[in-house]
Amino acid sequence: MTVDRMTQSNPEPLLSLRDLSVRFRMEGGRTVAVDSVDLDLAPGEVLGIVGESGSGKSQILYALMGLLASNGEARGEACFDGQDLFTLSPRLLDRVRGSEISMIFQDPMTSLNPFMRVGDQLAEGLIVHQGMSKDAAKAEAVRMLDRVRIPDAASRARRYPHEFSGGMRQRVMIAMALLARPKLLLADEPTTALDVTIQAQVLDLMAELGRETGTAIILVTHDLGVVARLCDRVMVLYGGRVMEEAQAEALFDTPSHPYTKGLLAAMPRLETELTPRLGTIPGTPRSAGREVAGCPFVARCEVRLPICTTARPTLRGVAGLEPSRRTACHLTGAPA
Amino acid sequence: MLRFIGKRLWNGALTLAALVTLTFFVMRLAPGGPFSRNRKISKEVQANIEAAFHLDEPVIQQFGRFVWRLLHFDLGPSTRFRDYSVNDLIASGLPYSLTIGFWAMVVATFVGIALGILGALRRNGMTDYVAGTIGVIGIAIPIFVIGPVAQAYFALHLGWLPVGGMGAGWKSWVLPVLVLALPNIAYISRLTRTSMIETMRENYVRTARAKGIGGRRVLLKHTLKGALLPVVAYLGPATAAIITGSVLIETVFALPGIGRHFVDAALNRDYPLVTGITLLYGGIVILFNIGTDVLRAWMDPRLRHA
Amino acid sequence: MPSDISPPFAAPTAEPASTLRLQFRRFRKNRLAMASVYLLTLIVLMCFFGPMFFPFTGEDADFDNIGAPVNLFSIHPFGTDDYGRDLFIRVLEGGQVSLTIGFLGALVAGGIGVLYGAAAGYVGGRLDGFMMRLVEVLYGFPYVILVILLSLLFGGGTVSLFAAIVFTLWLTPAVIVRAQAQSLAQREFIQAARAGGMTGGRIVLQHIVPNCVSVVIVYGSLLVPEVILSESFLSFLGIGVKEPQASWGNLIQVGTSAMSTDLRLLLLPGGLLATVLFCLNFIADGLRDAFDPNDR
Repeated sequence: MTVDRMTQSNPEPLLSLRDLSVRFRMEGGRTVAVDSVDLDLAPGEVLGIVGESGSGKSQILYALMGLLASNGEARGEACFDGQDLFTLSPRLLDRVRGSEISMIFQDPMTSLNPFMRVGDQLAEGLIVHQGMSKDAAKAEAVRMLDRVRIPDAASRARRYPHEFSGGMRQRVMIAMALLARPKLLLADEPTTALDVTIQAQVLDLMAELGRETGTAIILVTHDLGVVARLCDRVMVLYGGRVMEEAQAEALFDTPSHPYTKGLLAAMPRLETELTPRLGTIPGTPRSAGREVAGCPFVARCEVRLPICTTARPTLRGVAGLEPSRRTACHLTGAPA
Repeated sequence: MLRFIGKRLWNGALTLAALVTLTFFVMRLAPGGPFSRNRKISKEVQANIEAAFHLDEPVIQQFGRFVWRLLHFDLGPSTRFRDYSVNDLIASGLPYSLTIGFWAMVVATFVGIALGILGALRRNGMTDYVAGTIGVIGIAIPIFVIGPVAQAYFALHLGWLPVGGMGAGWKSWVLPVLVLALPNIAYISRLTRTSMIETMRENYVRTARAKGIGGRRVLLKHTLKGALLPVVAYLGPATAAIITGSVLIETVFALPGIGRHFVDAALNRDYPLVTGITLLYGGIVILFNIGTDVLRAWMDPRLRHA
Repeated sequence: MPSDISPPFAAPTAEPASTLRLQFRRFRKNRLAMASVYLLTLIVLMCFFGPMFFPFTGEDADFDNIGAPVNLFSIHPFGTDDYGRDLFIRVLEGGQVSLTIGFLGALVAGGIGVLYGAAAGYVGGRLDGFMMRLVEVLYGFPYVILVILLSLLFGGGTVSLFAAIVFTLWLTPAVIVRAQAQSLAQREFIQAARAGGMTGGRIVLQHIVPNCVSVVIVYGSLLVPEVILSESFLSFLGIGVKEPQASWGNLIQVGTSAMSTDLRLLLLPGGLLATVLFCLNFIADGLRDAFDPNDR
């Protein structure tokens, strides 16, 4: 099955996840954060993963990077460039991390080492991965800082992170991630911690540099605006499961899953200026928990059927919509 | 950085001045004088003695004289050990207290940090268990219990080391240093362990791991510095405390250090000696605090502008 | 284009009272800590009620049995000292003194520290600066010196010892509670109380102090062994509780000088003191783990 999926999607995917699950051992038993997710990513593609907090979206990235918390465990297959990331030895994984796959974290304020000069932190990866000399690596780091528009990059590189503003630190993180010209960039809510005014600026910079280096990006966010702005394709996650997957434009035009519809209704739009009130989804988000028999969204779904509590809907094509669309809902008909 | 040190020194001087004043007046307010218990002395002799020690002058004048002498590093004569000045007594006792305190801290720092790091890296492993046990023992059993027990076993029972005193060369130092180090090994290893575990959870350490630079480099270049900061912050005050608290170890092992002088002086109301040692101790504490602050600022760029 | 989708969904808020109950339930699951509670209770009961079952007190000399050895089935189960005083009773009576000073001292020092810290943290500004400056200066004093000077100032003996210990140990709780109060003062419900016209003193007592409870319990439990240690340390040096009244500290001191001939004079009070300190430390650790599960 893996094989014919692979040959179907064209060109050959850079990353393909099969049946990825992430579980955590907790005091009261096991918690499932990500529940059998499949995903294919083409080189250079920008994929958005959308979901509320607790939907498990960030854990997918951590699992790929081997950065899950110590009580976490990833199952399934993560095929990147011909090798399964989950079966690599720590040493081999370290050859991939930071050179072929890089990651940008949510909180730029705490994600840089406060005791190390910014330039040294950037240069470190080049020295280790590419065996560059210290001076050459530092020069490269300064060039990269310049490209992420850090003013006066050469002297800035000798400073410590606390001397940078939040937006600048995130640009430093972007520089650090792209310095190695990775094939894949994982971005975990890169702008959530930033001022609204500079969010767009940082995102555009990331996308622009990604395009230049031909880097594929997985962008995890709860912000649909960000997705609309940057992503080719979108995956909607709820309770650790994929609810819907589609090309970005198509998803915004014709959402098919009730949850996606709810999300879009809750999103303010410029076009529909004086809407009396934003839509809300009733109930509280289902955080990761024990495996359920039916659809994870059932408790908050306004159009649920009796079958929704007992049988788990599979991700499949939808009648009347484009072929790349996949939705996990009993209500949407199968394609003709 | 220079301004930083200057500011700390100025603050230290203020604290020392407060200490000088406070000590002087506490000594005057404390009930009973050095000679008041000695009823056999006639009134004239009493008056002569008081005059010799300027106890008959108004307090303010005494204070002025006291400060003036202090500025010349003269702490005056001891009232208990008649033939010695306070300076002499300090000079004879301080080297012992300093040496024991220094070596105890060296042992405690190395052993404590090593145990703490190993424990944090392999949580619930063998080292962690051993370190935890030492930690509990070192914190719960006071050195005036563990010291005598060690004497009874290693000196009296096995006969390896002397019970006390300074007569047996390097062997005389072994027990006092180890006993004094034990509680500090306990604190330092606990502190290091907790701090290591916390630091390993820091976002910037995760960033370092995501860079794929290898576990060893993540530990040495990224984790260790942050993890050791609280330990460094502890070391200064702890060293000062070990030196100023030397009386216990000196009592247990019958060592001629300065701490025993201090307690004897206090019990005998030897004002000049108590004052002198108090100021010395105060100075030591202040000095170590400043040293710690400077060291921390050197390690942590965020503190330099404070 | 901010379109955060979290706000529409309200999160349930936790109730503080049930948190406290949950924390104590978690504490009860800690076997080591619970065993320590039972053992400590046993020792406390033994110290306070044990002597009642003997026909003599620790200060009565039994001239027929001077320096009697350990014989668990005799009237002096752990023997007598050089004056013919029953060692076991003396250790129990010494325990009364040490434990009373320990718990009472921790309570008083903790109480002063909490009120001081809560007031400083809540009021803030210049008063806070001044109050903390004072704490800083006192912190600067070497602990041993401060205790010794103070016990000199208060004239020596048990009461002055107690005063000196309290005076030196209220500082840490004050600093900790101040930090807590400072963050609480920024919280909405305090602002609401202030907006509602509540006076500063009542806010401190009714809102700040109760909300510091878990911090206070954790650090208070560390304070008890510290006070007991200080007491026995000073008594050991001959500054605190004085003969013929017994305390663990001066009993250990006597034991040390008789060490070469008779170890039990050292081991009995020393062992009991160490056991109590072990128990208190385990309880404190258990409380910290129960109240702050992240810190492990």
